[in-house]
Amino acid sequence: MSEMWINMGPQHPMTHGLWNLRVRIDGEVILDVDPEMGYLHRGIEKISEDRHYNEVITLMDRTCYVAGLSWEHLYILASEQALHIQPPERAQYLRVLCEEFQRIASHLMWYAAFVQDIGLMTPFLYGMRDRDLILDLFQSYTGARMTYEYMRVGGVRNDLPPGFTDQARKVLDWLGPRFDEYDRLCLGSDIFHKRCDNLGVLKANDCVRHGVTGPMLRSAGLRRDLRKDRPYAVYDQLDFEVARADTADVTGRYLVRMEEMRQSIRILRQVLDWLDHHPGPVLAHELPRWLGAPYAPVGREGYLLKRHYPKGVGFSSIEEPHGEAQAYVVNEGGEHPYRVKFRSPVFANVSAARQYLIGYRVADIPPIMGSVDVCVGEVDR
Amino acid sequence: MAGQPGVPFLEIEALRTREFIPAAKEALGDLIAEKGQAKLIRPVFNWAGRNSLFPLHWGLACCAIEFAAAFGARWDAERFGIVPRSTPRQCDLMIVNGTVTWKVAHKLITLYEQMPEPKWVIAMGNCATGGGPFRTAYSVVPGVDKLVPVDVYIAGCPPRPEALLDGILRLEQLIRERKE
Amino acid sequence: MQPEDLERALGPALGPTLVGVEPFVGFAGRLRFRREGALDVFRAVHGLGFAHLSLVGGIDWVDHREVFYVAWSDDARQYVLLSTEVPANDAHLESATPVWPSADWHERETWELVDISFDHHPDLRHLLTPDGYAFHPLLRSFKLHEPEELEVKTRHV
Repeated sequence: MSEMWINMGPQHPMTHGLWNLRVRIDGEVILDVDPEMGYLHRGIEKISEDRHYNEVITLMDRTCYVAGLSWEHLYILASEQALHIQPPERAQYLRVLCEEFQRIASHLMWYAAFVQDIGLMTPFLYGMRDRDLILDLFQSYTGARMTYEYMRVGGVRNDLPPGFTDQARKVLDWLGPRFDEYDRLCLGSDIFHKRCDNLGVLKANDCVRHGVTGPMLRSAGLRRDLRKDRPYAVYDQLDFEVARADTADVTGRYLVRMEEMRQSIRILRQVLDWLDHHPGPVLAHELPRWLGAPYAPVGREGYLLKRHYPKGVGFSSIEEPHGEAQAYVVNEGGEHPYRVKFRSPVFANVSAARQYLIGYRVADIPPIMGSVDVCVGEVDR
Repeated sequence: MAGQPGVPFLEIEALRTREFIPAAKEALGDLIAEKGQAKLIRPVFNWAGRNSLFPLHWGLACCAIEFAAAFGARWDAERFGIVPRSTPRQCDLMIVNGTVTWKVAHKLITLYEQMPEPKWVIAMGNCATGGGPFRTAYSVVPGVDKLVPVDVYIAGCPPRPEALLDGILRLEQLIRERKE
Repeated sequence: MQPEDLERALGPALGPTLVGVEPFVGFAGRLRFRREGALDVFRAVHGLGFAHLSLVGGIDWVDHREVFYVAWSDDARQYVLLSTEVPANDAHLESATPVWPSADWHERETWELVDISFDHHPDLRHLLTPDGYAFHPLLRSFKLHEPEELEVKTRHV
């Protein structure tokens, strides 16, 4: 009997980011774990208190760097509620377009990283190849591959370029059959099943007790998705199913994410059809100049106008690719938010690590933590 | 639509092959001409080292995603001989791809010191170069050059994979000119 | 579920601990309580079906500090917002971990960033900031560097 603590991180191929998993082991068996976070704590909540409402969007892209547009949407929804601004309908559809494409891109990034962890190299190349197609679409209307700064308080920055919807449909036509190919690559492989089945089991009631959300919760059999349960933007007008699995293990999480990507394609086809037939403004009319400017002015001169909004508190929660994200924005009437607080889904999912790691073997850690889809930027903020 | 590479693949390959053979000839020629002195092995080292840079497989923040994309199907950084390794003992290049916080600073220095000489550092992105959008934050090191010596800075937030590849090629240029 | 329903369900059991229930957009209500009976409030709210605690956060209002909790009920498909005030010079509160284990990390974060201590928390230590970090950055009294100031400082070091 020789027990010891080992550090997996901050530089370790398992972590996919900057964090440290301290593991107490006896031989190969995990006795205890203690995730150590904070290596990427950049003080985003504090910096936000020093910035104007639209300037915080820059930080949101970098909070979760695999799902920047989802986090922009989260923050925008909360600050619109705090500032009492209503965006036009076309802007809301554009936001849903962004969010669903971002969901596919994020899940593809997860797929690329996760499957590489269990020893299959080809899926990494496939996942990155298909993700780049979506990033090309983002680039065509936001100008950036990863950090977009596309949404604005009161709408979005600009409309789609001509021909975008046709190109997007082509990408969706390409992606659909690829997911079946991924399934054949992974589920058809014995290695995959041997390394993933019955690993990292976290049952539904434990998920709820420990605040776990997203694909981890849905893989345990709960049909919980904020897009259905508490529809925001225009999700109540779109037709889709909530992905679900019953096994509560790593394979279940894989299946849920694959099904979510297929459902995202279904949503995106509806959104693209709507966008084709409903032109209109993408930014609310009644905005003050410093909020409605299509491009945020450089320097502080553009912000000299002192605005006094009615005080308010904004809360929003969205179904981000990793789970349920929440934002709490306190507006005290000034031009800066008084306090911004974010709830990251991965924060809660990692905090429950004791529940789904203890009792398994050391070699099981990469697939289990890979299936959690850790994005350290949003955990540490 | 899918298979179009972002960088013209064949051209670069041909260019590198053209460059490779004369460089090898030159290096070996130098060695033969002035054999027997320790410093003369340098061109061979430079030639070999710059064609097989092994960066440390370490993702810090946002730029790590573009770092990964550079090794994906479209950019395929491995054609330049760049292979990420997971242990610092096998690396000669540290790509600081993201925000460095004070909490991770001493770990970064430890990793740098574990790498064998000769070693190089690339500061990828605005955060590693000067703190980027988080420069004023209480927990962020304003530029990784406060901690380790940096050879190449790459601007961008995050830099595109092309920019990363360009930075690595510039580092190869630096290594080619290296005397000491 | 409406704010009145919440008040009717919780009022008799909690008595003076419950300060009031206000409407809040998209929520079952915003429930204000006194910190002395915090654990009773958590138990009572959990008993109403709000089994999933999503968020714990703190706000520094200079003269006092506010702690807020967001919990979700799967049956009602609604959130509830709980909030309480603690004085700035004596900022501590009963931990919610016995009722909602998910409060663990959120309370650690609130403790280190907003300086609100949680009694009977199983493991109250630094989470995001390094061990031994002496500051509480999200207090209003903690000022960030101005960019110019930082420039001077790093140039001379």
